[in-house]
Amino acid sequence: MTAKTLVKSKLICVALNDKAQLAALEKTFNQAPYKKPPTEPVLYYKPHNTWNVNSAEIEWARDFEGQEVPEMVVGASLGVVMGKETCRVSAEQALDYVGGYTVVADYSLPEQNYYRPDIKGKCLDTTAPVGPEIVPAEKISNPDELTVTISVNGQQKSEFKLSNMQRSVSELISKISYIMTLQPDEIIAVGFAGDRVPVAQGDQVETSIQGVGTLKNTLGGA
Amino acid sequence: MRHARIIFEGRELDVDIDAQDRIITSEGETLDVSLDSDQITWLPPVKNPGTIFALGLNYADHATELAFEPPKEPLVFIKHANTLTGHKQVSYRPDNVEYQHYECELVAVIGKQGKNIKREDALDYVAGYTVCNDFAIRDYLENYYRPNLRVKSRDSLLPMGPWIVDTADVPNANNLRLTTEVNGKMTQDGSTKDMIFDVPFLIEYLSKIMTLNPGDMIATGTPHGVADMQPGDTVVCTLEAIGSLETRIVSEQDYYGDNY
Repeated sequence: MTAKTLVKSKLICVALNDKAQLAALEKTFNQAPYKKPPTEPVLYYKPHNTWNVNSAEIEWARDFEGQEVPEMVVGASLGVVMGKETCRVSAEQALDYVGGYTVVADYSLPEQNYYRPDIKGKCLDTTAPVGPEIVPAEKISNPDELTVTISVNGQQKSEFKLSNMQRSVSELISKISYIMTLQPDEIIAVGFAGDRVPVAQGDQVETSIQGVGTLKNTLGGA
Repeated sequence: MRHARIIFEGRELDVDIDAQDRIITSEGETLDVSLDSDQITWLPPVKNPGTIFALGLNYADHATELAFEPPKEPLVFIKHANTLTGHKQVSYRPDNVEYQHYECELVAVIGKQGKNIKREDALDYVAGYTVCNDFAIRDYLENYYRPNLRVKSRDSLLPMGPWIVDTADVPNANNLRLTTEVNGKMTQDGSTKDMIFDVPFLIEYLSKIMTLNPGDMIATGTPHGVADMQPGDTVVCTLEAIGSLETRIVSEQDYYGDNY
């Protein structure tokens, strides 16, 4: 865990919130073990040991035999930073509870299935940089109109318009606030492009949202 | 020695509890109150909670009860401090659900940072043990990151305590009787010896993936014998040599009050 992380107590990520990804996986999700597409937001945590900052190196993961893993990927999301305690709020009220916005990158092993919690893939040390800063909520008039991009070594690899999210920022805040009471400075990464971007050792990665910021990180192991 | 966090006479205190059940503050003051007094408010025993790892299907008989094959690899999911509450506190039952059950579990509390910890060294990283009740609402299960957060990350649904018992005072955590009583009637009677993946294994496994930190907790799963809970029920989860954790179930409206 990095000392200056912007995350306080909780970083919740929303998986499978890209409409195109859900459409592409529809057949798979109607088969075992899923049996039917998700009816509620699909959520996972990036725990304390993953939290990291802008400009920091991301550790290249090792497998259970201690060997460097062959492949890692990155996704990027708008990070919604709660401004006050948020308990059971409606979608209409939800944005009133947002204190600011930031960028969240999620480095992981490739997403291979969604049936069980992906502890091995998602909980690797240093793999959740957040930043570079928190932009006050009033600077962003409509978070659902933002676009998230990922560049690797200067080349853009991914562009995700949040208007293509299955569930909007306000809907997600509301849904999550009925599961758990959110505290100030807890962060929700609201949605990632379905196609995660492969990265290699030594790659320089920029995850960016216009008006919110650019998070720059380097992959370790080189 | 046992270690707890309590509120007593308006003071939030870190206390030790000795073999004679005396409660001693960190300043050395012995409190003039008995351990079972209603004047004590019990807080979750880990002062700065880190990541809470919880195990699913970690007893073969419980896996069978839920119609699953016992896993070949630990089924681990993560919880955070919003789920925690203390001994003799309340947990809520959501409105309009069919089946909410308790899960009485042994918890190992991490006391030292470590990565790639070997099984034979694992207990050096355990500060102590406590008891938790990792409630589940089966109605909310979906086959995505199952057990999903809607089932397992709800406020108040992880009572823990009453206290942490030092690792040295629990010579064999792999052979402890584990029982649950609902309204005074025993509904679960098992032993930690039937755990599929024990605490040293889990520490080795998790620390191969990530760094474990002080304040992290590993809730090790529950054996056969779960039952539905209703508002008004009192459930007591007991681990031999560790303690008994009592929880009263209230309705969602009673729990959330003005936020309901």
